[in-house]
Parts: sequence; C-alpha cells; structure tokens
Amino acid sequence: MAKRAVVQNNMLELIIFSILTLFMLSGAIVMITSKQTLFSAFGFLITMVGLAGMFALLDSRFLAIAQIMVSIGAVVVLSLLTILTINARESNLPDEPNKYKWMVFSSLLIAPITFLLYKSLLTLNSNFSDMPTSTSKVVGELLFSQWVLPFEIVSILLLTAMLGAIIIVKDPRKKEEV
Amino acid sequence: MSTASIIVAIASFSLGTLLALLTIPVLVWLERRIAGLIQDRLGPNRTNIFGFRLGGLVQSFADVVKLLLKEEYYPSHIKNGRWLFMFAPIITFVAALLAFMAIPFADSIVINGEVLRVSPLPIDFGLFWYMAVSAMGVLGVIFGGWLSHNKYSLLGAARAGSMVISYELPLGLSILSLVITYDSIDFNAMVSYQSGTFFSFFPSWGILMQPLASIILIITLFAETNRNPFTVAEGESELVAGFMTEYTAMKFAMYFMGEYIAMNTASAVIITMIFGGYNLPYLSTTELLESFSIFSSTLMISIPLIAFIFVKWMRKNNRVRSTIKNDGGRAFETKVLTAVTVIMVILIESILFYLTYLSHDALFQNIAVTLFQIMIFVIKLMMFNIFFIIIRWTLPRFRYDQIQYIGWYYLIPLALLNLFITAIVVVGVS
Repeated sequence: MAKRAVVQNNMLELIIFSILTLFMLSGAIVMITSKQTLFSAFGFLITMVGLAGMFALLDSRFLAIAQIMVSIGAVVVLSLLTILTINARESNLPDEPNKYKWMVFSSLLIAPITFLLYKSLLTLNSNFSDMPTSTSKVVGELLFSQWVLPFEIVSILLLTAMLGAIIIVKDPRKKEEV
Repeated sequence: MSTASIIVAIASFSLGTLLALLTIPVLVWLERRIAGLIQDRLGPNRTNIFGFRLGGLVQSFADVVKLLLKEEYYPSHIKNGRWLFMFAPIITFVAALLAFMAIPFADSIVINGEVLRVSPLPIDFGLFWYMAVSAMGVLGVIFGGWLSHNKYSLLGAARAGSMVISYELPLGLSILSLVITYDSIDFNAMVSYQSGTFFSFFPSWGILMQPLASIILIITLFAETNRNPFTVAEGESELVAGFMTEYTAMKFAMYFMGEYIAMNTASAVIITMIFGGYNLPYLSTTELLESFSIFSSTLMISIPLIAFIFVKWMRKNNRVRSTIKNDGGRAFETKVLTAVTVIMVILIESILFYLTYLSHDALFQNIAVTLFQIMIFVIKLMMFNIFFIIIRWTLPRFRYDQIQYIGWYYLIPLALLNLFITAIVVVGVS
C-alpha cells in the first residue's frame, strides 16, 4: 500500500514537472522569438513562474516565493516599465535576417555545456529535496554564516552594474558644458 | 493528516475566500453610503428584493447583475495580443485574491496536540508571500494599459508602474523595521507578540512601538492599492479612466473587484502588523482560554446590549416620513430583522451558557475563542476599510510629481532613518 502511494506520488510529481517544463520552455521560446518587446516580457514572466514552481516542487517553498518576489516583483516590473517608457514600435527595431538559423546554431553551441550540466546534476544526492531548505530561518542562517562572502560579493556585483549603467547613460558632452 | 486538520484547513480556506469575495459588495455599499454621509445626502437606499433593502446593500447585487449582463466590447484597433488584453485584468484580480490568503484570522488552534493554523495558506512566511504576490498585481495594469493602444491607457499604466516602484522601497524598509521589532516574518507570531505589553502598561501594538514605520506603512499601502489620494493612474480629470479606459463589462469588473480586494488585503495587513490582528489589547489567547468563564460572562452581558441598541437604532431610522402613507414594506423589514436578531442572540447566549456552566470541554472552548477572534478580526477589518473610504472622500488627489516627490524625498529617508534607529535600539537592548 505504502509503495503504491509512493509510486503514485512520483507519477504526480512527474506530471507537474512536465507541465512546468512545458511552461518554461514555451515561455523562453516566446521571449526570444517574439518581435514585440511586451510579449518577450510576458514570456520571461511565464518562465519565472515555472522556475518558482520547480522550487516549490523541491519542497523549498521559501525559495519559490523569493523567486517570485525578485524575478517577477522586481525584474519583470522594471523591464515592463522600461518598455512603457521607450514605447518601441516594430518598425524601429533592427532587422534580424536568418534569425531562426542563428538560433538553432547557437543552441548547438550551447549543447556541450548542457551535457556537462546534465552530468554534474547526476552526481547530486538523490535526497536533494529532503535537505532542510524549506523554512526561512534555515535559509537566513545559512546565508549569513556559511555563504556570507558570496552573498556580499553578489551585492558588490550589483552595485558595479548599477554604477556602470549610470556611467553609460551619462552624456559626456553635457559634462563639458557644466 | 487527521480529520481535524482537514476540517480546519477547509474551513479556513472557505472563510478566506468568502471574506475576500463577499466583502466586495459590502465595500461598494459602504463606499456609496459613506460618500453620501460625507456629502450630506443619502446614497442608494431604494433597491429591494420583496421589500428587503438592508439599508441599500441590495443595490450592490443589482450592480453585479448589471455588469454580468452588459455587452462585452472589444476595441477593433487591437490587432495582436488580444488574448493578453483579456488576460490582463485576471492577473490583477488573482494577485489581489491570492495575497489575502496568507492572513491569519485567529490564533493557531490546538486539537489533540496538533497545532493548526487558522489561515487559508498555513505558511510561516506570510509577510513574504504578501509582498511577493501583491507585487504581481501591477503587471496586469501595465499589460492592460499598454495593449489598449491608447494614449490615456499608456500614461495611466506608466504612472501606476512608476508609483508602485517608488513606493515599494519605503514599504519594504518600514516592514523591515517592523520585522526587526517582532523578530519574525510570520504573521501569526507578529500578532502573538503584539498581545503582550511594553512598559507594563501599553499594549505592544506596532503603531505604539514603531509609530513612524506604521505611518509610512499605511501611506505606502494607500499608494500600492491605488486608492485616493494616490489615484493618479486613473485620474478622470486628466486620463479619462487611465489604464481601464478600453475595458468593458466583466473585464472592467475584474479590475474594479481587484482594487477592492487589494484594499481589503491592505487593511488586513495593517491590522495584522500594527494593530494587534485578531486580538484585543491586553487579551492574549492563553488568557482568554484560562479565564474562559469571565470572558464568556462578559460576552453574555454585552451581546444583548449591543443587539438592543442595534434594534432600537433600526426602529428609529428604517422608516419614511410621517406624511407618506405607503412605507414600501419598511415596517415589515424592521419586524423580520428584529426577530432574526433576537433569535440569533438567544442562540449565542444558550451556546455560551452551555459552554461555561454545563460542559467543560476544552475543545469547544477552544473553538469558541477562535470564533470570537475571527469576529474581532472582521470588525477591525471593516473599521479599517471604512478608514480607507473616509480618506478617499476627504482628501483631494495629489499631482503626479508631488507623489514622486513625497516618495523619494520624504518617505525613503525617513524609513531608512527609522530602520537605523530600530537596529541600534534592538542591538542595544539585547
């Protein structure tokens, strides 16, 4: 009886996993292929929701919510605001001849890395999902004890990106006038 | 999973859904009647079903029927992306509805040693859930505004988006200082912290312990829910109806209901975080359970008094002028409502009497305390909704640049300062 329940559980997990994968893949394809920037943002949104679902499937609900908060609440909203401000028309966008050919070619280029990733994933613990990452307290403690250096380095990276964006946007001619 | 846990889960889920969805007509009714009160007129009070008008509440149901039966109109200039145009209101509505689901309606109930949360989503990071899911609501606004291919809609959506971004920062900072104070991101733990006292007299509500953070929280939640004085996204004097200009019938109703649910959720978050949630001051759950007989006797005295005042008020007010002969069934309505009130009072009294003096079953006393806390929660929720509505009909709308100015120049520095002070005090105390 117990064994049957486990099998059913695995089956259910597989079905949910396939649906989420379908969502993520189609979202990613929509994001790359669509001409309208808004639909690209929508594809990104779908992909991120699917990724949050993946975390939830691994029973780390806190990470799933964090994923939604950061990727959707911040990244997608900001990119949508940029799209609204620029309001680019299709005719204004640069031409992309042989777009689909290039896409297939670049995905072939990535194939060896994907294979490596797959091989490294196979070496992971089989009880990966049983690790105690489901509560916020554990995540917070790990982040501020064991992983505090990478955490801070990432924040420096973000700061650098922000400074870079400001410097790129700054018009050098205006500086001379002042 | 025991039977009790399943029952509690189903009950709290349906309670959450009912509270979120059934308060919409009540809120619309309150909005109109309070607007009438403030503008010295009556507001809607004529619509009735068989003479029952319930003070005009029936009008809201008539409005629902109207919105359902209206013609769906698609603007013909929207060529591609029509499905996303139709999907956008649903995003806003669902995000607002889901964000409500992490609110606890009563303290965790203990049945046979099992601790069960009385909240639609039994999670221990409710605050995080609220912030993540409610931020998705603005996506529907932006999608709808952009896909309408209309200058008014585009401007409305851009205003809504930039306002949400600039007010999310002070909101997060003020919430952070509250989190440092309570040492938890679990709504339930916050409420049980607030049931204590500080300086052995004041109830340790957030509004008393963190006044600055609380005020910033209330202001930013007003902005997040797009309520007055922050309604620049749909300011009708400049932008027709803003992002929902091109929407009709049910799709418009989705935005409309989403706004009211968001307001309801914001009220729930405010009372849970800074006004003691489902608890009355000085009365924590354990105290209620320990001195159950005193508590229930107080209830047994106060409930008939409240019912008596209500019936007297209704008899005085629910009638027409004495010069008019035909009262349209108001006397009959008063009679029926009086009878219903009396029967309900007798029922509650007998149940409380049985629980206090005849049976000493801890389980039923637990359930009674939980129901009492749910009642307190709903009363507080409605009081805060009325506060939202009064603010809407009292203050004029800010100009758009004024809103950005307040957000960036006043709220963010103040919230940051408050965060520093809180951190120093907390570190110093511990």
